[in-house]
Amino acid sequence: MTQTNPRLVGNSFKLGYRFQRYWDTSMALAFFFAEAGAGLFLVSFHFDFLPGMIAGLAVAGTLKPYFHLAHMGVPNKSWRAILRPDRSWVSRGAIAIGVMVGFGVLYVVDLGFGLASRLGLPAGAGELAGWLAVAGALTVMCYQGMAMSDSESFTLWASTLLPASSFLYALTAGSLIALAAGWEILGERRAALADLALLLLLLDFVVVAGILVRAARKSKGGAFSVELLTRGEYAGTFIGLVFVVGLALPAAILFASATQAAALAATATMLAGFLAFRLLLFKAAVFEPIMHDLAGSLGLPSAR
Amino acid sequence: MAKMGMVFDLKACIGCNACVVACKQENSLPDGVFFTRTLSHEHGTYPNVKRVYIPTICNQCEDAPCEKVCPSGATYTRADGIVMVDKDKCIGCSSCAVACPYDMRTMLDKELFTKGLFGTGELTPFEQQGYGRYSPGTAVKCDFCSERVDAGLQPACVATCPTNARIFGDIDDPNSAPSVLIRERNGRQPLPEKNTRPKVWYVD
Amino acid sequence: MSKPQANQNSLKPGKWIRSTCKMCLHSCSTRVHVTDDGVINKIEGDPTNPSNAGKLCPKGNAGIMRHYDPQRFKQPLRRTNPEKGPGIDPKWEPISWEEAFAITAREIKKSLDRDPRLILPSLEDFQKMHIWFWPLAIGNHNFYQSGGTMCGGAYHPLNGYIHSAFGAVNDAKYCNYWISNGAGDGFSSHLHAAAQSHWVAKARIERGMKVVTVEPRMSIAAAKAEEWIPIRPASDRHFAMSLSHVLVYEGLCDYAFLRKDTNAPYLVGPDQLFVRDADGQIYVWDTADNRAKPWNDPTLKNENLALEGEYEVNGVKCRPAFQVYKDTLKEAAPEIIEKITTVPAATVRRIAREFAREARIGDTITLADGRTVPFRPAAYNYYRGAQGRKTGMMTNQAFQLVNMLIGNIDHPGGRCGVTITDGSIDNNHCLPGECGQMLGTPHQLGHMPPFSWPPNEYHLAGFFPVGVNGPHLNMLSYLEPEKYGSTYKPDVLVNCHSNPVWAIQGPRDKWLQFLREMRFIVCVDVIPTEMTDFADIILPASDYLETWNGVMIEPPYTEGICFRQPITPPIHDTKSEEEIFFELSERLGVLDQYNEVINMILGFEQKPHLKLEPGKKYSDRDIAERVGLLWNDKPIEWYMEHGHSSTERRLDKWYRPWEGMRLLFYIEDLVVQRETLRKQFEEAKVPFRDEWPFDDYQPLPTTVLDPIHLEPAEYNLYAITFKDIQMNFGESLSNPWIKDITYRDPVHTGLLLNRGTAQKLGFTDGDIVLVESPYGKLYGRLTTTEAMHHETLGVSNSLSRTKSENRSVLMAGGHYNDLLPYDMRNTDGATGQPETSCRVKLTKLDDWPDFLKHGQTVYDLVDSIRNAKGKGGTH
Repeated sequence: MTQTNPRLVGNSFKLGYRFQRYWDTSMALAFFFAEAGAGLFLVSFHFDFLPGMIAGLAVAGTLKPYFHLAHMGVPNKSWRAILRPDRSWVSRGAIAIGVMVGFGVLYVVDLGFGLASRLGLPAGAGELAGWLAVAGALTVMCYQGMAMSDSESFTLWASTLLPASSFLYALTAGSLIALAAGWEILGERRAALADLALLLLLLDFVVVAGILVRAARKSKGGAFSVELLTRGEYAGTFIGLVFVVGLALPAAILFASATQAAALAATATMLAGFLAFRLLLFKAAVFEPIMHDLAGSLGLPSAR
Repeated sequence: MAKMGMVFDLKACIGCNACVVACKQENSLPDGVFFTRTLSHEHGTYPNVKRVYIPTICNQCEDAPCEKVCPSGATYTRADGIVMVDKDKCIGCSSCAVACPYDMRTMLDKELFTKGLFGTGELTPFEQQGYGRYSPGTAVKCDFCSERVDAGLQPACVATCPTNARIFGDIDDPNSAPSVLIRERNGRQPLPEKNTRPKVWYVD
Repeated sequence: MSKPQANQNSLKPGKWIRSTCKMCLHSCSTRVHVTDDGVINKIEGDPTNPSNAGKLCPKGNAGIMRHYDPQRFKQPLRRTNPEKGPGIDPKWEPISWEEAFAITAREIKKSLDRDPRLILPSLEDFQKMHIWFWPLAIGNHNFYQSGGTMCGGAYHPLNGYIHSAFGAVNDAKYCNYWISNGAGDGFSSHLHAAAQSHWVAKARIERGMKVVTVEPRMSIAAAKAEEWIPIRPASDRHFAMSLSHVLVYEGLCDYAFLRKDTNAPYLVGPDQLFVRDADGQIYVWDTADNRAKPWNDPTLKNENLALEGEYEVNGVKCRPAFQVYKDTLKEAAPEIIEKITTVPAATVRRIAREFAREARIGDTITLADGRTVPFRPAAYNYYRGAQGRKTGMMTNQAFQLVNMLIGNIDHPGGRCGVTITDGSIDNNHCLPGECGQMLGTPHQLGHMPPFSWPPNEYHLAGFFPVGVNGPHLNMLSYLEPEKYGSTYKPDVLVNCHSNPVWAIQGPRDKWLQFLREMRFIVCVDVIPTEMTDFADIILPASDYLETWNGVMIEPPYTEGICFRQPITPPIHDTKSEEEIFFELSERLGVLDQYNEVINMILGFEQKPHLKLEPGKKYSDRDIAERVGLLWNDKPIEWYMEHGHSSTERRLDKWYRPWEGMRLLFYIEDLVVQRETLRKQFEEAKVPFRDEWPFDDYQPLPTTVLDPIHLEPAEYNLYAITFKDIQMNFGESLSNPWIKDITYRDPVHTGLLLNRGTAQKLGFTDGDIVLVESPYGKLYGRLTTTEAMHHETLGVSNSLSRTKSENRSVLMAGGHYNDLLPYDMRNTDGATGQPETSCRVKLTKLDDWPDFLKHGQTVYDLVDSIRNAKGKGGTH
């Protein structure tokens, strides 16, 4: 018989903050794998790191759909998700993941077997597939943040910093995985990649902090979410995992040591923090009490 | 064309939740699923305390975020402004549920349709005749009892409300009961900062 | 309008049938939709009934879930497990109706043949008075059901004295200032909750009627009020008297009304009796001639009747009744009473002045029937919470005197009598009494049995000549048979739609033992309850969607019959109550007697062609048909089409139905009854005659303290219980729809304690506590709130369910009723009404006691709702 924060009202008939409970762990995992996979593909594409590209496509092309389907209420109709790219970021993202994985696979196959020339396609065809896959990957790296910030529903999410955080986290994950996995192959480009990863970790921190600051200022619901993350139920996990383990620790490791083992450790800790970020952003989102702006003569507390 | 809207009279509402149960009856709602709720809120310090009862319902927003984010085209708006969900098109992604700032969408757990209202694993004849309209896993919401509206009736919650705290009608008609109330008693919409243009107003 | 493909239940192919609700004891009109496949799938209010006007409360909306409850008794059952107790599986064995009737009749007859008093009836169907009064057919006056003092033990007798009516209501059609004291009327309960709350909301919204609510807990009425005045429990009488003090001492009364329409000018002697002349005519003082005259002296003018002063008539010192009360009210100055009620004196003075101003004393209104009558749009409403006092009769009178002082009794906008049923359309309920007074009729549900020693009735009803049956008093005879003169012990319990073991206050373990010792228990019911766990035989009743009935049951603003008809045939092998009780009567050889009882109770005697004939059994349809015919001579087919004959109350029966008679400002009858009873006690040498609370009979209320305030100081808090509209009256929480709304409402999910008090005593939100009164205990979890009186713990009725075979009902941590006393110290001598609040102390516990750790409790459900796991649905 556990008690939660009395201001969180769950599904009771009490005015107060109501949990976001519709997107849960499987959705967080789907987001996580899509972003990590797309980031890895993008970085590997840049560094011509074929195993990284394959791994990125594999993760984004299998684990993401798997966890999405696990989340879906009607999985056998999930194909319908692509029907409204004109307005829905979920549709756009679904198409983007198809573009990324489809063209990415063609590009990788072309790299390996010279597919384009065998099929008698013009010389640039393989290259074009690659760049199309990159476009898909860039979209995938942003769209989940776009989908979250698309509605004003949760102040915590309703910010342009959300797609930025998606993109930066994806890129950070991609850089670190590529660094750790491609340690041998990358050779002297290691240092540049490690520097990039360090910079990205810093940017991640700035963006996450920015999300918190903006949310806290924008509405009471946003402030409540921030309170949950920094002082309330999730503070331990959020500060410990997202900030310390996920950002500070990998940065410190990278800074301190330039070995593959260090890169591996930094990658592992960063991914743990990344996943925690994904999960906690879902958990800490709250619906605002609907009466804020009816405050007036009722003497109720106002939203802002 | 008419635009259907609703006004909640907070002075009238006694928080009895007859509306909630009428809705459950009319729409064969499974256990724990609500298309409308009446929330209560206490404020002030003893002995100067107030409690308000706040009915909530799908606001049938003109700029409905649930419709905008729906990737499958399942959510659409009728000509009279009522926001609908086509259960045959819905894929259960719950994007709409997170997009609705009012928490007025429900995803239908599959167990609801096997567990039954009494939790016995068997469905009553009432449930058996009623659950056919639902597709497990999909999103559902209030549609102002659109079939009743089509038949010229008031939504079930409005019809039963003992204190007439729910006033329903065409808000494009300046002389309709809800329009008059909005005008004369300073009707306000819920969470206007969410930019959804709700078709529900509160007066107190 | 129906569509074959409709999703919404009301539009599916089928038909609508007009009927009447029975989810509480009142009778809102319904229209019920049944599909072509015979499934009931929607119940709505019937807009043609001017009472509920198409509206239904949440319970009325939830009837389908009772009808299709899988736990309904589906055929007659016989117990095979001899062990009886709460939640102990009776191991039911289905039997035939013939066998069930044979066993039941045989077992009842065994005791009946020895002594009819060995039968203990518990027959609670308030829409079927002919079932309620079945015991009269076997010459039995025992009573073990909650509908007596657990309802309005003092409220009803006092209404009988004031209005000659069962109930009373503030006239929402005109009222502009509504004081609500410990009542849900118009907001959450009582008098057709949907109907009353409808008309009261209209008054609030359309006329801006002001509501002032006086009660320890902020109820719905207080939430909707302009002003909530928290008050210490069991001090409502003092509050009312302090209001009266201001009205009387600031000259804010309707003196013309008091002189003309009440017995306030009648002269009272030192023996509390009126001073009479040799012919028995009561004296009044004529200020014009400055001498006493009999009340009917033709030279008297109303305006010359003295209300105040002290006189001597025939050597007897006397005062007008008004002066007597005025003298009593000296002790009730708001500044004195503040210490008892905790209501600031300034508040009382302000409310009294507002109340008097809004009463518009002197104003009149011309009614549609041409009469011009006083217009008094202010009224004091009270009920269950305020009236449940050890000093019940006095308490109720104190409330009504506030109304009477401003002259609003049975006037537009004021306090109007509500008859429970008029039987026939032209019946008036007011009869002339002695010396120009209206006849007081405290026995609204029939006369109490005569005094006897040793007592004939196990619950001592003969000691309460103007009271109501007090079911808790069975415990006195059970625990102290020698003292209370019990010469027998009931051994057969006949139960119908009644849950006494849950509803009656007193020590639970003793009540359980009382039931275990019964030789035979038969229960007529629809679903399992705490009570049916003790049955030997279950006779399953059809529900209200499967049966016939006709009833008028205290509709606040209307009169007429609400008609019930089957929406479907019984879906299980069940029978109507009538079928069951006629059959049992025949087998017991009392059918003729039963038919005569019904002729009397339902008033068929008034139209002899409707009378039930000896030797004949009747169906529920037959009875419903006659009830309709008695009212307005309309055949049953008319009722089947119209569903009711409800119309607005006829003006001549509604406003001043006592025209030409004087209302009882001073209830001399209570003195007469007291002295008669005292004499009977003396003559019979009743051993406890010196400790019997004769003082509770007073012609006017006094400021005596209720004993609850004198409990040991270690019990540092008061406790009250409450329901809201979703639990109004009978069983609710086995219904999944009701459960679904109740346990989401914050006031029903924890023991309510004032936040400041909690802080002071070292408690916080969510603490698990043991609640102990001098009489019992319960466990619970605290919810702190600003909306409770600072000395009071609020225990929702939703937290008082105990373990039973009904698996839908969740137990909480005991039962509020266990905290209450059952003794005479805490029982009103005049009415039998026991105290319904108590004193408690709280102890913080580290964890729940063991018995609450097994199986789901209310608190588990509340937590699952609050934690809202899962994407949607469930919780």
